[in-house]
Amino acid sequence: MKPADKRAYDRDYAQAKKTGKPFFPYAIFKDTVIATLTVLGIIILAIVVRVEVGEPVNPATTDFVPRPEWYFYFAFELLKIFKNQDVFTPLIMATFMVPNILIILLVVWPFIDRGPERRIWKRPFALGLTVIVTGMLCYLTWMGANSPAGVAKGGLPVSGLDEEATKGMGVYLANGCGSCHMVAGVGAPGPGPDLTNEGTKGWDNAKMIAWFKAPKPPMPSYASLPPAELEALATFITGLGTTYK
Amino acid sequence: MTTKDIGPKGTVQKSAEGALDFVDERSGVKTGARWFLFRNIPAGTSWFQTLGFTAMVVFGMQAITGIILAMYYVPDTSGGAYASIQRITEEVTWGWMVRGMHKWGASVMIIVVFLHMARVFIWGSYKYPRELTWVTGAVLLMFTLFMGLTGYLLVWDQKAYWATVVAVNIFASAPIVGPYIGDILRAGPEFGPSTLSRFYSIHMLVIPAGIAAFIGLHLYFIMRLGISEPPWAKRRLRIERDEEDARRRAAREQAAALPGTVTYPAGAPTGAGGDDR
Ligand code: HEC
Ligand code: HEM
Repeated sequence: MKPADKRAYDRDYAQAKKTGKPFFPYAIFKDTVIATLTVLGIIILAIVVRVEVGEPVNPATTDFVPRPEWYFYFAFELLKIFKNQDVFTPLIMATFMVPNILIILLVVWPFIDRGPERRIWKRPFALGLTVIVTGMLCYLTWMGANSPAGVAKGGLPVSGLDEEATKGMGVYLANGCGSCHMVAGVGAPGPGPDLTNEGTKGWDNAKMIAWFKAPKPPMPSYASLPPAELEALATFITGLGTTYK
Repeated sequence: MTTKDIGPKGTVQKSAEGALDFVDERSGVKTGARWFLFRNIPAGTSWFQTLGFTAMVVFGMQAITGIILAMYYVPDTSGGAYASIQRITEEVTWGWMVRGMHKWGASVMIIVVFLHMARVFIWGSYKYPRELTWVTGAVLLMFTLFMGLTGYLLVWDQKAYWATVVAVNIFASAPIVGPYIGDILRAGPEFGPSTLSRFYSIHMLVIPAGIAAFIGLHLYFIMRLGISEPPWAKRRLRIERDEEDARRRAAREQAAALPGTVTYPAGAPTGAGGDDR
């Protein structure tokens, strides 16, 4: 804004205040009504919907769904979009670049958009940004709310399993790998890569176990699994697409 | 004597007024409260401008319910945290209600803060002179989201645990500083007892203090600068209409006084009337 625009605004605002109304009771009344309704809404939600107590933490086994609270669904969905790991859509886009660009934009926005115009229909860029960002957030949250819970209770459609691999598949299912990975079309399409043909990469069990113990984020570490389970899991994964199809 | 006179003031009333005057003379509370309550705001101030106050009230509610929860919660990873949540939900009188309000309050606060931000954005209320109000608000938004992240873990059930493992891993995957941030959040390389204590302390001491401080700053700016007028307040629309009229009138008068010079570009024939082109 040019200094002249600033002075014009100051004059206009002083005029608005002079012909205005006192804060009490006009603003206080509206504030109190909306705040009371909101708190009442929260109390009604607390009474009607209640809170549950989930299953106790077990870092070793039991199926889990690594799903954040709904207001972080959008971030989780972003991970899925950028899961391909190729040059155009590297995962770092979702975990680092996009969030940081958004945060920086949010903080410095008033220093970017400095024109004197305040009516939204005369600020087409700001209007477009409102629609696109709100739309994206709603869409991603909706996607997150409807994403598959991940754990395929009935097993995976994979044949040729021997005893060790069957045990490994059990470990795979019990630890919710399927909420980030897909095998033969079962599981979530991200954020982890599709593991249907993981065996063709030629990793041996030791390399696979090392990965389970210290994977690259956001995959969690499975160092707390018993060695026998890790071994079975590694056998299962390294055979996918080669021995077990 | 007027009918309003209820007789000489009693000792109690006199000393009460005296005490109030004593405090006001030294602190200015009466004057301050009067300035705060009866200062003018633009007449068009609308219902959309109640969302910031509502966010503040919900934050206050979160603080109160949170303090009550902290009286019963035990940040112990070997079953104590989970058991205390179970106890609050199933045994403590009104415990389910307090926990329910805290949990739903968190979601509602995020929605309210987002709507408040949307209203400020759509109205262009972040423009001169309110840029710094917006910046303090942006910090408040991030604090609010971070509250959600740290609070979620405290329940210490499967869903919360693994969701937080993934979220912390996302922070940890940032280049260069990522691993350090991960270690700071986890209080070490692995998730464990100190992670829970750390999240608990961040959730109930560090961020609330930050939010309180930034709400203070935010309110300071708002009181100093005054609440913005809606861009389509009646007064603004009238001014815009008057300006538009004045512009048209000026154009018409100019056209009448100097035929040709307004409607024709330079070099066009003049004096030939207005309609032979
Ligand atoms: C929170 C989501 C998540 C969960 C849960 C998860 N992973 Fe992953 N996984 C990932 C991501 C993301 C990658 C890609 C990491 C990278 O390469 O940067 C990955 C990579 C892998 C890879 C290497 C793939 C490759 O070709 O590079 C294997 C193998 C793997 N995961 C197996 C598993 C197994 C087995 C489990 C269950 C015990 C599991 N994952 C659980 C997210 C997850
Ligand atoms: C904990 C969260 C927040 C609280 C408690 C809060 C509180 C308030 C209050 C009470 C007002 C007075 C007017 C109104 O109610 O609309 C206000 C105005 C304002 N807020 Fe917030 N706010 C929060 C978050 C934010 C966020 C996230 C932003 C934007 C990034 C923001 C930017 C602003 C601006 C620019 C104003 C001045 C608007 C005007 O004068 O019209 N605030 N805030």
